Amino acid sequence: MSGWLRSCVSGTLGVRTVKAGWGVSTTKFIEENMTMGSVTIQNLVKRYGSLEVLHGIDLAVEDGKFVVLLGPSGCGKSTLLRMIAGLETVTSGDIAIGEQRVNDMHPKDRNIAMVFQNYALYAHMSVRENMAFSMRLRKTAQAEVNKRVNWAASILSLEPYLDRFPKELSGGQRQRVAMGRAIVRNPEVFLFDEPLSNLDAKLRVQTRKEIKELHQRLKTTTVYVTHDQIEAMTMADQVVIMRDGVIEQIGTPLEIYDNPYNLFVAQFIGSPGMNLLTGEIVQGASGKMFQTGEVTCEVPQDSKAAVGQKVLYGIRPEHLQASMQGSGLSATVTVVEPTGPEIHLYATLAGHEICAIAHQRLDWKPNDELKLNPMIEHVHLFDAETKVALPTV
Amino acid sequence: MHDSTFKLTLRYLVSILIVGIFVFPIAWWGLTSVKPISAVFDKDRIVVFDFEPTLENYRVTVLGYSKRGSKEDGKTLMGTSGNNSYDGRSSIVSSVIVAVGSTLITTIIALLASFGLSRMQFWGSQGYLNWILSQRFLPPVAIIVPLVFIFHDMGLRDTHTGLIIAHTLINIPIAVLLLKSFMDDIPIDIDQAAMIDGATRFQCFWMVILPMVKGGLAATAVLCFIFSWTEFLLSLFLTNSIRTIPVKITTYVTSTGSEWGYISALGTSAILPSFIFILLVQRHLVRGLTMGAIKD
Ligand SMILES: Nc1ncnc2c1ncn2[C@@H]1O[C@H](COP(=O)(O)OP(=O)(O)OP(=O)(O)O)[C@@H](O)[C@H]1O
Ligand SMILES: [Mg+2]
Repeated sequence: MSGWLRSCVSGTLGVRTVKAGWGVSTTKFIEENMTMGSVTIQNLVKRYGSLEVLHGIDLAVEDGKFVVLLGPSGCGKSTLLRMIAGLETVTSGDIAIGEQRVNDMHPKDRNIAMVFQNYALYAHMSVRENMAFSMRLRKTAQAEVNKRVNWAASILSLEPYLDRFPKELSGGQRQRVAMGRAIVRNPEVFLFDEPLSNLDAKLRVQTRKEIKELHQRLKTTTVYVTHDQIEAMTMADQVVIMRDGVIEQIGTPLEIYDNPYNLFVAQFIGSPGMNLLTGEIVQGASGKMFQTGEVTCEVPQDSKAAVGQKVLYGIRPEHLQASMQGSGLSATVTVVEPTGPEIHLYATLAGHEICAIAHQRLDWKPNDELKLNPMIEHVHLFDAETKVALPTV
Repeated sequence: MHDSTFKLTLRYLVSILIVGIFVFPIAWWGLTSVKPISAVFDKDRIVVFDFEPTLENYRVTVLGYSKRGSKEDGKTLMGTSGNNSYDGRSSIVSSVIVAVGSTLITTIIALLASFGLSRMQFWGSQGYLNWILSQRFLPPVAIIVPLVFIFHDMGLRDTHTGLIIAHTLINIPIAVLLLKSFMDDIPIDIDQAAMIDGATRFQCFWMVILPMVKGGLAATAVLCFIFSWTEFLLSLFLTNSIRTIPVKITTYVTSTGSEWGYISALGTSAILPSFIFILLVQRHLVRGLTMGAIKD
């Protein structure tokens, strides 16, 4: 897909060079006329019969932002997205796109475009017709239709395939047709429902980057649904973490990674996941300590954790420095997983299964003794009852 | 893996045998239609090919000439005979009118109904489907008497319209179910994508769903046509002067004997229109019209 990159680059260059051809002026024309919109959701509830699947969602998506809805299967991400699209009715609450309340507006009047997980292409139409369909319905002039289809095709490197039918395309190409169909219309908001889940791993990484580039280029507000945390981390301006129909946390990817609001978020983000040790806070010689079984370790002294409080001690694998000798917590290696750039070491520590990431290629073996040194500034403490992160004072 | 010649030969032999079993009665019927009466009824042997072929049976049934040897022989021109009771021409016309008419109406109604049933949730949509299906539980003979009275009172008896309506009623349940299954195969996401693209419900049906179920529509049409073309009972009871081919053929069995030659001639000719219809429709009978719409 270097083709796409190439066209992006040549596009930007072309705008600056005066002697640019027809295609370039089209690109410029269309890109300058992009409209944008924000999405505001207030206390949104969705019920299917007696089953409530969204319990009062509040969300503000700023104009031009790339927001990812992330959560485990069945948490209501698609439902929320489809309500924004107008494909599901609103039980209560409000949805606004731009300045306008759209609760009861037909999908076609919302000026949104959606890319479906299974692409949902029109099988009996060529790629060109697929992309032109929305404009055909709006009775756009043919010259304008051609201009836009060619523009979208050039952005997505679809020019060679314009006269093919969907069944003659590979999965990745179909996926791009689905995106092309969305971008030709120049919508206020893009909605993506797990668009990459049907692609193989390599293509997924590539397309992920392309979608991000596309967003950087068009700057159209985007709401993107996924259950893949890597996608969310890599693409999002804002990540919205959902569970069972409620939003658990909203923030930039790094905010969420560094300061998970609760245990669920902490466990959901990061791979391998955060290590968690159950235990309690005790009074040690140099202040508050965390104790589990025989093992005690330091905790940030500015934490609000009180002595005697039952807590969960969380530390990400990359914040556990592993060494073969020296000081530190003693653990026993169980499994060694070299990934190339780093080595994942699984070990048992005071009855807990934990993981540490080592960057040196030492000769780790199962049953070796391992010394672990947690980086104290990266320790997370969660209340064992409420599972909410304990703040610092 | 390559099949051995033996396996291949065996496969061909078996296929030929099976095709032969199915084709034989039709071929024999066609052969009978060109046999002179003496060859049809030879008490000593079975005549297969050693006879003088004649088109006499077709001359009478399909072209409407009088029976040779009867009083009017030689005096009537083709089509002018008023009392050739073996003239099947009007039956062919009637059958075509009824079959085409009922097929057309059935498919249109079934298309709209199945779209609704497949795509919309409404009160009782599930029960409605069962109700439609239940219409086929009843054998037509159970409703034939009331139907005759109703059609008589409505002035539909012995009309093409009446017969078209009757055949449509019988065909609709199957057609709806069949088309619905084809529509159910198209993921609802396609409709929703079209709606987001700006299509109204009708545009979605007309521009997206209809082209995708073309194959199913063709299959349904063929089924309806064949049913109507071969339907006997309703046609017998609901008409007197209009006789569709199946009914007409039974009149060749008379008190003075069965006219096997005429029966086979009209029967063989009756294959042709449905054959043409199926030929016209069959190029739409392709599978996989939705291929490529979704991932796999
Ligand atoms: N039409 C429906 N009728 C009843 N319940 C539904 C309906 N659609 C969805 N649900 C329920 O709503 C919940 C949320 O579904 P949704 O499709 O939004 O999940 P999701 O987060 O998109 O999951 P996934 O990652 O698997 O796509 C699920 O528990 C599901 O069973
Ligand atoms: Mg989903």
